[in-house]
Amino acid sequence: MTVEKMRELSSGELSALCSNLAKACTKQFRTEEARLFTQLADYYQEKTTPAQGEGFEELAALVERDLTEGYPQASRLAKEEGDRGALRAVVWGEKVTKLLKSLLARYEKQQDALLEKTSVYVCEICGFIFVGDVPPEICPICKVPSFKLQKIKREAV
Amino acid sequence: MHAVRNLRLCTKDCLCLFVCPTGATDTEDGQIDFTKCLEGCRLCVDVCPSHAISLLPDNYPPQQEKSQPVKEALQALAASKARQERTALAVAQSAESPVTRQLARAAATSAKLCAEECFRESGYMLPQSRETRELLTALRDTPQPEDFPKEAVDRLLELLK
Repeated sequence: MTVEKMRELSSGELSALCSNLAKACTKQFRTEEARLFTQLADYYQEKTTPAQGEGFEELAALVERDLTEGYPQASRLAKEEGDRGALRAVVWGEKVTKLLKSLLARYEKQQDALLEKTSVYVCEICGFIFVGDVPPEICPICKVPSFKLQKIKREAV
Repeated sequence: MHAVRNLRLCTKDCLCLFVCPTGATDTEDGQIDFTKCLEGCRLCVDVCPSHAISLLPDNYPPQQEKSQPVKEALQALAASKARQERTALAVAQSAESPVTRQLARAAATSAKLCAEECFRESGYMLPQSRETRELLTALRDTPQPEDFPKEAVDRLLELLK
């Protein structure tokens, strides 16, 4: 990566890039490196500003663009190149994104009634959002055991 | 290749203590002492009834080359996911209903994880990769704000030689 290319990345992208590398270090039991990449990821997360004024409508539009352009394009290229790793990431990401799209559509119709009496989990491996009280034994998208599904708490009113 | 223990799988049968010729598995924190572990020995790996010990390479093979179009497509997706995270964070901050905020936080977390995955498969799977080194070098060689943790970048470049 050149300096120019790196400068084009938003702080949110740099944060994700560094947190990904922190996870990679953890898997290799490189604790100091993991801590340093986490420090960088946190630095860039701090600099990431929420997109003020935007709501679920804007989110749904961005999600739709991934499903019509981003994922089909990446999927085609990964298949052409026989890049199994890339294809795996694209397959999981596309499924996660489709389910998010349907969740946002259901939420738009039913509003809080959809989630009021139930819990919300996110799979730490693939990003799958599960709505329900008892998470499945394995993640339906990436098949990781359920202990990797993290509960998203609801703040007290 | 040195042994590491997956603490989640370890069922404390302690056969590793019995077979280890150097006592590397006998530690306070439950992890195996790298400095005592014998290169490629693997007696503890084979004896463990819970398959909780494995060998970790000291040197990984070079990362598989990724084609430029695949890299670009994945990084464009990562950018889109990072953008979605910002939208979700805005909802998580401004919505009145705690249920809306909860869903927004789930969406932000999910978007971040998808972005990480796209970066991982676009050349950043291994911290030892050429791509990671180039990123760290670019971070070091760019003028940075005062609060930037420059020493973290320098130390990483040193550790990941």
